[in-house]
Amino acid sequence: MEQRKVVLADSEIPKQWYNILSDMPTPMNPPLHPGTGKPVGPEDLAPIFPMNLIEQEVATDRWIDIPEPVLEKYLLWRPTPLCRALNFEKALGAPVRIYYKYEGASAPGSHKPNTAIAQAYYNKAFGIKRLSTETGAGQWGSALSMACAMFGLELRVFMVKISFEQKPYRRLMMAAWGTECIPSPSDRTNAGRKILAEHPDSPGSLGIAISEAIEDAVGNEDSRYSLGSVLNHVLLHQTVIGLEAQKQLAQIGVYPDVVMGCAGGGSNFAGISLPFVRDKINGKKVSVVAAEPASCPTLTRGPFAYDFGDTAMTTPLLPMYTLGHDFVPESIHAGGLRYHGMAPIVSHLVKEGIVEARAYDQIETFTAGVQWARTEGVIPAPETNHVIAAVVQEAERAKQEGKEKVILFNFSGHGIIDLSAYDAFLSGKLTQHKLSDEEIQRALKSIENFPKL
Amino acid sequence: MNSEEFLMRCPRLGGEAPLTYCLQEAGDLPCQRIVACWQAFFPVEAHLRRVLPPQKWEQFAGRKPKEKIASLLELVEEAKGRCR
Repeated sequence: MEQRKVVLADSEIPKQWYNILSDMPTPMNPPLHPGTGKPVGPEDLAPIFPMNLIEQEVATDRWIDIPEPVLEKYLLWRPTPLCRALNFEKALGAPVRIYYKYEGASAPGSHKPNTAIAQAYYNKAFGIKRLSTETGAGQWGSALSMACAMFGLELRVFMVKISFEQKPYRRLMMAAWGTECIPSPSDRTNAGRKILAEHPDSPGSLGIAISEAIEDAVGNEDSRYSLGSVLNHVLLHQTVIGLEAQKQLAQIGVYPDVVMGCAGGGSNFAGISLPFVRDKINGKKVSVVAAEPASCPTLTRGPFAYDFGDTAMTTPLLPMYTLGHDFVPESIHAGGLRYHGMAPIVSHLVKEGIVEARAYDQIETFTAGVQWARTEGVIPAPETNHVIAAVVQEAERAKQEGKEKVILFNFSGHGIIDLSAYDAFLSGKLTQHKLSDEEIQRALKSIENFPKL
Repeated sequence: MNSEEFLMRCPRLGGEAPLTYCLQEAGDLPCQRIVACWQAFFPVEAHLRRVLPPQKWEQFAGRKPKEKIASLLELVEEAKGRCR
């Protein structure tokens, strides 16, 4: 019987997080304050983050101790198992061994609590009483809810109204953990009230929800804001995933040829990959692949998608173009890594050629996810389907090349609370073909009274 | 949501969204990803050129991506202004 999983003892959980900033082959430019043009300082961030997290945001120490209270909470579900996907391997019929870290083992069902727990702890230690945050479909909001409940913090989550109305289960989870989940735009903030006054039926947006969450935190001495992805300290907390994986693989004498993760904001990808990126920087031969969403592969797979126009990565790819009626900048067409809030660390590693970014459209990702569910059992979160599509592609390459490969990927979460997404896919509601003239006319009709255009 | 509308998996929301949502995601402007997400299925770029006033079109097409920290600090300043 072949071994299916590697499980670490509680005592073997990593006691430190790994900070990639200490090993970057080229330095990252510091973010600039939009008002002054000068590098952002700790005092600039103080209204929204506690100083102990700001220190982590700019820290360059290679290893940062995980506080004991955080470890105690991690042990509720960590170390997560390293599993071998034997059934999926068989279905693919390729010369690959596929290992994955199962991050769906946490109570909210994803990797997000790895940083939620840490952020709640540091805020509590700094004397903060209440946090605020925004959430789209609720993955982050639910993770932070559980974490705040565990550390006795109040939490307000501004949830984009369209998701609040479509997705009741995560807001119910938040309620169970004692969080006040508010549909955004709301009447709780000046930002929300302004939107509601102008557009009472606004479905909200992530931008509005962020504005509300920040306004809710700013000006209250004992309140702060929390963000679940993108920032350096968030990626730092997630490295516990890859550090565990390294220990588990070492126990069975395996080292991966390819390490993969899906990349929305970059936190779960960073979590599995950064410890292996360190190995790569130090000479180890390993490919590191970020699988990102691309609804439109013909556009996002163009070479421009990852061709950064400047070292600070703050300008459009072709900023010299004059706007005109026959030109749309690539920044509008490209759905690539930098255009939907990707972590600067991940963007920098892509630019340096250390990480490869690949894009997968929604149909191939759900197709891969369904194949996974029908072989390995667990229904993946829709985001996780991106990396499974990447695994399928990598296995196909191995078959074509006739090379054996070991693939490690991060199974970032289960999809039990996202079954409506599977319903949309399986019922054909998820757009998957060029719309017919009739369908276009119907779509246009549905927006003909759209007020803002 | 119109039950006849086609849906797109929104990577920002982590959920499904209809075209109507994408058209107003940024307040009085469409989501910056709308062309990347929808163009293969729907001539959204041509539609936007047709219906957006020229100034709005240029505003939409000229938006630059910002670093997260910079955009957070902008929001902090805006929030301070609103709270005064």
